[in-house]
Amino acid sequence: MNASFEEKSVWIQLISMVGVLGSYFVVAAHMLSRGVMVVAAFVPLFFVAVVLLVVVLVAGHTVVAIASKPEGRDERDRLIGWRAERNSSWILSVGVLTAITGMVLAIPNVWIAHLLMFSMLLSEVARYVFQLVYYRRGM
Amino acid sequence: MGTKAVRNQIRRLRFESGEMTQQALAEQVGVTRQTIVAIEGAKYAPSLELAFRIAAAFRKPLEEVFQFHQQEEK
Repeated sequence: MNASFEEKSVWIQLISMVGVLGSYFVVAAHMLSRGVMVVAAFVPLFFVAVVLLVVVLVAGHTVVAIASKPEGRDERDRLIGWRAERNSSWILSVGVLTAITGMVLAIPNVWIAHLLMFSMLLSEVARYVFQLVYYRRGM
Repeated sequence: MGTKAVRNQIRRLRFESGEMTQQALAEQVGVTRQTIVAIEGAKYAPSLELAFRIAAAFRKPLEEVFQFHQQEEK
């Protein structure tokens, strides 16, 4: 793959985030549909997901670092990162505003918590996708 | 502003500099090889500082390496 270490790193983060946190949300959605409304019931599942995410990220970066020499970020990497963040950060803002609205409407905390986490996941995924588009198509 | 407004002669200058590789140029100016690839392919317009460093690597004036082509605004 003719890509810089930074671009490969973005691929690793995107795939692990979607795979691990996506799986968390599938299980969490199943639990919510069965009427589990206590936030504490989701904590062990979330803890496992975070640990798994860290393990996958470390393993992925280790493999890529062994296969190709790691390089530092240069000005193009930084610019791509800034632009991608600028284009994706609104998703988290919408999630936070929706969560505040939900709190005003007295929606259960478990839904608020998952709404916030889901908007964070979407925002991150969008950032990675924008980064990959900028790496491939240019700016 | 499209990045294609900034064109460059890097490929030709590399060839004329003893077929300097993209990796060698990248190391000389302190960026990744992929950034040199993106600049050569007009997919990325470098910062002024990087443009000067690239020109210095070829010992050429900036305008001989990079050319700006004014584009019509739509």
